[in-house]
Amino acid sequence: MTVIFRRSLSVGFAALWLTASGVTQAETFKWAGTTDPQTMDPHATNSAPVLGFLNNVYEGLVRRNKEMKIEPALAESWEQIGSDGWRFNLREGVTFHDGSAFTADDVLFSYERASSEDSDVRSWFAPVDSVAVVDDYTIDFLTKAPNPLFPDSIANFMIMDRDWTTSNEAARPSREAENFATRNTNGTGAFTVTSRDPGVKTTLQPFDGWWDTLESNITEAVFTPIGESATGMAALLSGEIDFISPIPLQDVPRMKERDGFTVHEGVEARVLMFGFAHQADSLKFSDDLTGENPFKDVRVRQAAYQAINVDALIDKVMRGSAQPASQLVSSAMKGYSEAKSERLAYDPDAAMQLMKDAGYEDGFSFGLQCPNDRYINDEAICKAAASMFAKVGLNAKLTAMPVRNYWPELREDNFDMYLLGWSPGTFDAEHPIRFLAHTPNSEKKLGSWNFGDYSNARVDELLPMIQTELDEDTRQAMIDETTELLQQEIAYIPMYVQPLIWASKDTIELTQRTDNFFILRWVTVN
Amino acid sequence: MLAFVLRRLAQSIFVMLAVSLIAFSLFRFVGDPIAQMVGQETSIEDQENIRERLGLNDPLTTQYVRFVSNLSQAEFGYSYRTRQPVSEMILSRLPATLELGAISLVISLIVGIPAGIYTALKRGFLSNALLVATLVGISIPTFVIGIFLIYLFGVSLGWLPTFGRGQTVALGWWQTNFLTVSGWKALILPGVTLGVYQLTLTMRLVRAEMQEVLKTDYIKFATARGINYRSLYLNHAFRNTLVPVVTIIGLQLGGIIAFSIVTESVFQWPGMGLLFLESIRYVDIPVMSVYLVLIALMFVVINLVVDLLYFAIDPRVRLRGSHD
Repeated sequence: MTVIFRRSLSVGFAALWLTASGVTQAETFKWAGTTDPQTMDPHATNSAPVLGFLNNVYEGLVRRNKEMKIEPALAESWEQIGSDGWRFNLREGVTFHDGSAFTADDVLFSYERASSEDSDVRSWFAPVDSVAVVDDYTIDFLTKAPNPLFPDSIANFMIMDRDWTTSNEAARPSREAENFATRNTNGTGAFTVTSRDPGVKTTLQPFDGWWDTLESNITEAVFTPIGESATGMAALLSGEIDFISPIPLQDVPRMKERDGFTVHEGVEARVLMFGFAHQADSLKFSDDLTGENPFKDVRVRQAAYQAINVDALIDKVMRGSAQPASQLVSSAMKGYSEAKSERLAYDPDAAMQLMKDAGYEDGFSFGLQCPNDRYINDEAICKAAASMFAKVGLNAKLTAMPVRNYWPELREDNFDMYLLGWSPGTFDAEHPIRFLAHTPNSEKKLGSWNFGDYSNARVDELLPMIQTELDEDTRQAMIDETTELLQQEIAYIPMYVQPLIWASKDTIELTQRTDNFFILRWVTVN
Repeated sequence: MLAFVLRRLAQSIFVMLAVSLIAFSLFRFVGDPIAQMVGQETSIEDQENIRERLGLNDPLTTQYVRFVSNLSQAEFGYSYRTRQPVSEMILSRLPATLELGAISLVISLIVGIPAGIYTALKRGFLSNALLVATLVGISIPTFVIGIFLIYLFGVSLGWLPTFGRGQTVALGWWQTNFLTVSGWKALILPGVTLGVYQLTLTMRLVRAEMQEVLKTDYIKFATARGINYRSLYLNHAFRNTLVPVVTIIGLQLGGIIAFSIVTESVFQWPGMGLLFLESIRYVDIPVMSVYLVLIALMFVVINLVVDLLYFAIDPRVRLRGSHD
């Protein structure tokens, strides 16, 4: 600690703050991540680095607690009004960092801003019909249909101050050029951004006018992006930073052995799976088959499923730190289907029999597309899976590429089978059904990540019912039915839930949330 | 002389146009910028709208002509990733790269030249050790050297910082490392890492040139005349090795600045190379294109300066030039 103390440039400033707050010790907390948040505008980019970072600065009507459950934030309570809407009773006495008061008008403004054309988070408000301010501390969100999930779905909808935003000409997020809100912030959250040098360094300090009690004892937090993982590890080991996220899996054993450091292991919300070209008339990358697509046959898809030894993948490639997955969401998500939590067994003999039944006893070759910089050890997973496939006659020709080339490739249908990871933004089982299982429909904006065009009329029918069902048991029964259909038809091969691996000095106490957001107000420096 | 400079400058415009055209035709293979700009929930239609608005659906030639015409009006556009003005982003990263480049050049010269002269003149243990060391230095990749230095001096010994620029001082828009202790400490490891390759090159070149020159008749005559060795080696022999050495050093300086990407990434050094690397990851075409044109410009300028230096160093070039 003394080393950091000596190096800290802002001890003087921190000490000044101390006298005001009465905390006994000044604690500068330095942390690093691989990606710098692209912007400080909470409506401009819907990405985890941005929303995760800004959760420390801005707040929503509701927020997620340590267990990812919804709890009151800027709204003290909310209730359904009629069948088609939600009323939020707002907290009184909340101020923005610049001192101005928070009212329902700011919520209305933020809704208009976040649902405007150039906002990247506007899809959250697709179900909203209108918003009405009832009084200064009451606001109604009226939805087009009953929407039991609405409060959950807007946990990352961050509220901005109307006056600050409009007077700085940042009333709308901008796609092309920056505006004032790109580098400046004015939230209601526990921390204020005191300086920002994009890509280099961002400094935060606790907001002493915050409405809630701060659990953290840090007096200043400094974020540095460090892209190279070896450099980040060195910075942690040398004591220049206190915390880093993530660290490479292969460094975990070494870190655990070092005195003075802690590895924080958890499970992310992301499920890794293989997808198929369900509708293609022929394989695109096969050497031995023309004019036919064996993956249209559920027996071949099941053979692929049962050829994969998920436990071995987790053990060898993920070094033991991942959980097997049976469906498109992890067990931590709302609507997880307990009833359908069994995976098909790993059984190469059964897989070979299925191949024989389907008429592919001699096997066939096909193209397997895979990203190499998107998920933890993604290319290695595909290589290991390919060698497992080969044992039952599925000869995968693996093509791995950076993610910036990967999505365009999948959108162009250049695959026979592909790897995909999915983390539901709403933390609900409905999310992957909407994006991965529903028949692609650009008009309704459904199935937009269903690259393989999987289609099942019953699933399409169930989705709107799940979205509007208010009774939890009935809703769960519908999700169970959908899950069963997807499992029976092997729409995807869900494999495992990706781990979260963070490392810190052992003097740091923190909370690891499954959305991989790093929440500063839960950090304590001992 | 003036005509020479003007001619070279005119040529340089063609070089830069060519570089930007090649860069532009390569961007298609870098990936899709839109997918990197938006979240997973953004609809395909919205993505198409953005693509259309950014002009990415236009034919390549249209995009290229637009880029060049904007460039000629000093309009560099906005980054797709951060939405900041590209000119501002590059300017704010320029000092870090130039200061790092300057330090590594200095390191490579003050170590490389004396070591080159020494190994040319003396045989023995030290000389052999230096030669072996340079072989090692030239064959180990920069990345490995950087990580090795970080773990030795940053992690094990704890003497020097492992990443970043340390504390900088603002001189107008220029953030400098040269005015603080932590700034100087932060420069050492990346400076050495970036300088090692240049150092070995300089040393081996000086040595080879010296050995050549020492075999020539005029050195033999000078020796016979009894000129003292110090003056003989430094004034007569070394000066004659300078022409190729200056050429190579000039090209190296360009190389140091243009290819500091690896070193900057290993040390999280917030220079232009790191910016370029981040831009590739996000397919940030406006930043990449301006960076590449700027690097081309820099090489052109350095080559010009090197040519002008010949005039100063080598009287034969001056003579030839006057007959033109």
